[in-house]
Amino acid sequence: MILDLHTHSIKSDDGRAKVQNYCQWIRTRGIPIDGFVLTEHRQYDFESDYSGLAEQHGLVILKGSEVETEYGHVLVFGVTEPLYDAFDFTSISLPLEEVIEHCNANDAIAVPCHPGRPRVGMSAHLAEHGIPKGVRIVEIYNGGSRADEDAVAAQMAEDLGYLGIGGSDSHIVSHIGRCATEFPDPVTTEAELVQALRAERFEAIPRQQ
Amino acid sequence: MANSTVKTIADVEFGGELPSFVPDTSIEATRRFGKYVGWGTPRFTDHEGARKEGLPGAIVPGVMSQGFLGAMIHRWAPNAEIVAIDTVFRAPVQVDHPHTITGVVTDIDEDEGTVEIDITITNEAGETRVFGTATAKLPT
Repeated sequence: MILDLHTHSIKSDDGRAKVQNYCQWIRTRGIPIDGFVLTEHRQYDFESDYSGLAEQHGLVILKGSEVETEYGHVLVFGVTEPLYDAFDFTSISLPLEEVIEHCNANDAIAVPCHPGRPRVGMSAHLAEHGIPKGVRIVEIYNGGSRADEDAVAAQMAEDLGYLGIGGSDSHIVSHIGRCATEFPDPVTTEAELVQALRAERFEAIPRQQ
Repeated sequence: MANSTVKTIADVEFGGELPSFVPDTSIEATRRFGKYVGWGTPRFTDHEGARKEGLPGAIVPGVMSQGFLGAMIHRWAPNAEIVAIDTVFRAPVQVDHPHTITGVVTDIDEDEGTVEIDITITNEAGETRVFGTATAKLPT
């Protein structure tokens, strides 16, 4: 199955898409994904329940987060209350290695996103901070990045032996599904998503539109 | 398919595309714009001056880009009142480079008579330079 692992809704400060419109768009336009993960900036949305929308549209809707570290932005999958209490999701200068350690201790996983972008991407900070411990997967295809930025990300992943995922980084409805990740096994919960990523059973899908 | 023009909210379809167009991003156009709004800064009107500021060349002012987006909406729906245009400037719109303005309907509120439109400006390489949303009110 194919999931867009990086999307934002109006819950994010710069997101402009309503989740119901994402669903409607995917079905109306026949976007070739089976679901998506909402990775809101610097927060985890415990409140929203999208199960009704998911059922209505036959889609998987999962939740994660996008936090900010000294290496740039990082997706966190498998967020639970204990993990949310372990560090300050609202901080804009989290230590990446600590985020990874907390994720590992709480059955979650941290994935640096758009690593080829200046300032907010991991590759731009390697010279200053060195290679961080614990990174296994990075986002190599990002629907909001330029082609040269994705090329930097892919090269960094190859050089450092990282696996790659894809996500649209959509902030508006019509950008969802631009990049995605394919899983050979069903992924219908956040726990299954973490399990599939840790098992390294996935493949990044580049820009489709 | 792009809807040519719409008159009322009932004419609007979810996923409907607005007619796209290539705006005039020439240096002459930004100089005219700068003259009318009182901006003489080289970053908008002079490639060499813009390079001295660290830019790749002159760039189109943000409000001028928003004007192009508004023009697209009014070409599509001449009776529309644009309630809001909310843009994210992901990268500069470079003067003397062809860009394409596109829009697509992503939400319809028939009770309020409003539509939400995803708007983008892409360059010749297909890179999204500006994106955002616009809200327009149409006659019911």
